[in-house]
Amino acid sequence: MPFLHERLPNGLDVIAETSESAVSTSVGFFVMTGSRDESDALWGTSHFLEHMIFKGTPEIPGDAINRRFDDMGASVNAFTSEEDTVYYASVLPEQQHEAVDLVARMMRPALRDEDFETEKLVILEEIRMYDDQPPFGADELCRAAFFGGHPLGRSVLGTVDSIRGLPVAAMRDYHRRRYAPGTMVLAASGAVDFPALVESAKRLCGDWEPVTAPERLVSVSPRAAARPGRERIVRPAAALDYAVWMVAGPDEHDPDRHAARLLSVVLGDSSGSRLYWGLVDSGEAEQAACIHQDFLDAGLFITQLSCDAADVEELTERIAGIYATAASGGISPAEFERAQNKLASRVVLGGEKPRRRLFEVGLDWSHCRTYRSVGDNLRIVEQITLDDVHRVLETWPLDAPAAAVVAGPGSGG
Amino acid sequence: MKQSLHSATLSNGIILVGERLPDLESVAVAFHSPAGSIHDPVGKCGLATVAGEMCLRGAGVRDSRQLVEDLESAGVQWSQGVSSTHASFSGAMVARHLPDVLPIYADILRRPLLPEDELPAARQMVLQNLAGIEDDPTHRTIAALRRIHCPAPWGMPTEGISADVESISIDDVRGFVGHHLQPGGMIVSVAGRIDWDDFVRRVDDLLGDWPAVSSAAVGVGPRGPFVHHVPHDSQQTHIALAWSVPPYRDDASHEATAALAILGGGPSSRFFTEVRERRGLCYSVSAGYQTSRDFANAVCYSGTSAERAQETLDVMLAEIGRLPGTISPDELGRVKARAKSGLTMQQESSAARAGAIARQWYHLGRLRTLAQELERYDRLDVAGVEGWLADQPPRDLTVVSLGRDPLEVRCAIPA
Repeated sequence: MPFLHERLPNGLDVIAETSESAVSTSVGFFVMTGSRDESDALWGTSHFLEHMIFKGTPEIPGDAINRRFDDMGASVNAFTSEEDTVYYASVLPEQQHEAVDLVARMMRPALRDEDFETEKLVILEEIRMYDDQPPFGADELCRAAFFGGHPLGRSVLGTVDSIRGLPVAAMRDYHRRRYAPGTMVLAASGAVDFPALVESAKRLCGDWEPVTAPERLVSVSPRAAARPGRERIVRPAAALDYAVWMVAGPDEHDPDRHAARLLSVVLGDSSGSRLYWGLVDSGEAEQAACIHQDFLDAGLFITQLSCDAADVEELTERIAGIYATAASGGISPAEFERAQNKLASRVVLGGEKPRRRLFEVGLDWSHCRTYRSVGDNLRIVEQITLDDVHRVLETWPLDAPAAAVVAGPGSGG
Repeated sequence: MKQSLHSATLSNGIILVGERLPDLESVAVAFHSPAGSIHDPVGKCGLATVAGEMCLRGAGVRDSRQLVEDLESAGVQWSQGVSSTHASFSGAMVARHLPDVLPIYADILRRPLLPEDELPAARQMVLQNLAGIEDDPTHRTIAALRRIHCPAPWGMPTEGISADVESISIDDVRGFVGHHLQPGGMIVSVAGRIDWDDFVRRVDDLLGDWPAVSSAAVGVGPRGPFVHHVPHDSQQTHIALAWSVPPYRDDASHEATAALAILGGGPSSRFFTEVRERRGLCYSVSAGYQTSRDFANAVCYSGTSAERAQETLDVMLAEIGRLPGTISPDELGRVKARAKSGLTMQQESSAARAGAIARQWYHLGRLRTLAQELERYDRLDVAGVEGWLADQPPRDLTVVSLGRDPLEVRCAIPA
């Protein structure tokens, strides 16, 4: 799968991983902006702006954007995280030109007053929708408790008050500063005509002003929870308790992040892990999982538990025991090998889907200006050693004082 | 592109369907046994689901743990699920592991240990899942819709009912598995980097001498009321609607699915445009097609703040009522473009293709090539869709809401 790269004079990077056998083309813009780049006054702007991008440009009304995507049979969507805003479309190869044309024009949106007010209602509904669902805000509150004043402590969606209070002028200014060619990547994967992609980029994005985007608020990597201890969200009607707790782990630049991921598979994968056999297989927990998540300057081990409210204390203790056993006794070679095989299989199967590769290639480039092929990713998994995993267990203790939140009916203490 | 589709029937009736996708490294295999929840006896709702779970708790020479560990050592991304009609055991993996993995699946199907000491855990796992569903308002709304719209046993929740699940005994499980997990009506599908002849030989060796038993027909009970409200303490009210449309094997299903896609299938659909984009009433709104072999339903859904739910329902009903006589060629063109590109992109996923060919065989008793599927879309025209809508306009709607207050069905659609 050849990798191709060209940088436009204004700083926009155009990259592609091409595949001869792919029957589809995925294209996307990766914008290095997310909730960590907001202030309190702008809380939720990145995600709200992602919605507004679909409401049209000065020349193209929003409903025409939707129609044009459907005309080309595109599968199109976008997402916003703490660090990225990503827009993508998957199309048949003959639609590459049209798809790139439309997505690129969308990056310079109209941000009309009336669209802003209507879409604000949709965002408020999205906030309420998630608030009505498990884990009932526990994840966001736990992140805030772990990160404290660090920019990663701010939730992606914002709050009802921050969204209601946001003026359209602030969003226009945010867009002008953050959607600069130097902080965006146009990426493609699958059956890509790269010369045509570069030509499209030059024509559509070549005149984007090379604004210097403000430096990202990167601070010292948090090694401990800012607000350790347990907080509670009471939802009297909830059937289960939803507990989440977070301790520090390796960040995106730490070579040990791969071993951290493997460790999370051994301990807390959705099947066959120590938490699975210890809590889920017995039917005592609805879910018990351990996930490693990394950011530019921080990493987390996140433990999620859902169970009957009466059992939350006991099962939390049992998970602590499972972590303590791992810390003292390590991981067995057989467990290690199984987890390695699982990860390798995910790399190969995921590598067959151009959409999935678009995200991997786009985010790698956006964050680190590096390209890793499926083969590279496979070698990374194969080169993890049991010693690496044991080093992670020592360096990043899972039984460190955690930021913890339990949401549920409130009878569980 | 020349498509490589295959089918074979073993002497005991097991159907094998396959597609060779030589550009992929992976292979996906799925065993669909006709042990679905429509066979749950009255008072034992959830038995099929408990039985499906029990099949993984030891089979052949492997205990529960060894079974999962052997699958995962081969890097198999495995899953087990029960629908109203089938219990399905499936896995996706790097192709070279398939020969080692097939005997494990054969054990699960033919030699499940069904150990009595694992039953409390299996039951408890199903009960945990039911408690989780209690906290998922969208799932509950759709389940409530199904419960009253579809006659029993089709409308009964596949996941089970807590009181019934608690009463399930090991004899219930063993009886169910003995009757229903059997070769008659079983479909085995495979897609990806396969050698078809070798696959047929291996499956025949593993399952070919498994004797078939006859299964009893399913009786059908009455349906529920047309309007129903589920009280729930939440900020949002959830709305679900359903009416009957032709099943997949009926030629008219093509026109029906196109009409539903125009109504609520994509970002330019009428629901998305009128409910979300113009009025900002909700985050999610959709219309879709859900088919069984002998019947199918149009199913619409939206969730919105309690105070805006009535308007959301009113707009959805108005759009459903406005559908006949107003389909434009552009709208249909967009539906065709989306469907054709979706069909083509399936070729990039072994799991998607294994699923698609199994469904085709179950509904049609044969496989359609991609070229035939695309050609059907080429033939679809406005006159056909309008003709179908004139013949079978949306009527007899079932309306379910879940939230604080019930809604009023101010409906211009014939009941």
